[in-house]
Amino acid sequence: MKSSCEHHHACMKVIQRIIDREATPEEEAAFLENKNQCMPCQEGYALELSLKKAIQSKCSVKCPDQLFAKIRAKLFLLLILISILIPLFC
Amino acid sequence: MDVSVEEKIVPEAKAKEIFEKEFMPHMDAMYNFALKLTADEDDAQDLVQDTCVKAFRFIGSFEPGTYAKAWLFRILKNNFINDYRKKSRGPSKVEFEWVEQSISGEDEFAEPAYFADLHAETVQDMMGDEITAAVQSLPVDFRMIIILCDLEEFSYEEMAKILHIPVGTVRSRLHRARALLKEKLAEYAKKKGYH
Repeated sequence: MKSSCEHHHACMKVIQRIIDREATPEEEAAFLENKNQCMPCQEGYALELSLKKAIQSKCSVKCPDQLFAKIRAKLFLLLILISILIPLFC
Repeated sequence: MDVSVEEKIVPEAKAKEIFEKEFMPHMDAMYNFALKLTADEDDAQDLVQDTCVKAFRFIGSFEPGTYAKAWLFRILKNNFINDYRKKSRGPSKVEFEWVEQSISGEDEFAEPAYFADLHAETVQDMMGDEITAAVQSLPVDFRMIIILCDLEEFSYEEMAKILHIPVGTVRSRLHRARALLKEKLAEYAKKKGYH
């Protein structure tokens, strides 16, 4: 296995597109085939993927329940205002 | 009663239906995005409420069946830039430098050496708080693109529309954001003795 990659910058671009599901199937297949023979590409791919997965699994929060009620109350108020104001201008 | 909007008049019942069906399912994602942008629970709630009111007012310009989440995120981002960002700090010097470099494309995919010691296993071992703190410490433009891409899984084209930037800038900004995030995680891992 190669311990250095002469196309590392180009490979990093492809890695980004692959993990973001923006690469073409051909690009992805070519990279995955090469990855097994190239240590920097293998490590780069694993790191980028683990980072994305960590963000997905560890950075989510739920919307507080009271916010739903507040939003509905604001919209109700907005509708009342519209119902009062529109006849004044029509 | 009808809801008056810029482009067309939507009957009140229809507007409510669109709101409940198309917009409400995205509240968790909107709140999460707002919280990451403002870093304050009250500000995040206010930002989501303002976004919802604006979305409701302009509901006539929303095409049912199109991607409501992207439409809402665009309103939220604009609201944040116009109203909330002014309240907090302005963009830091680092922020401008990084964004400028990302736009010029200068050496955009060069891999700095500082996170050479950061490995996938180290990231997997890190706690949620550590990852969240590292994301939160990024300049806001970078934080925004990381959340949109990695958490909400928008495509590059959708992010370009939400952020009003070219797709090429999405790519380079995303790369720089991830590089900075890895730098922060590498520093943190070193400090905490992760291997």
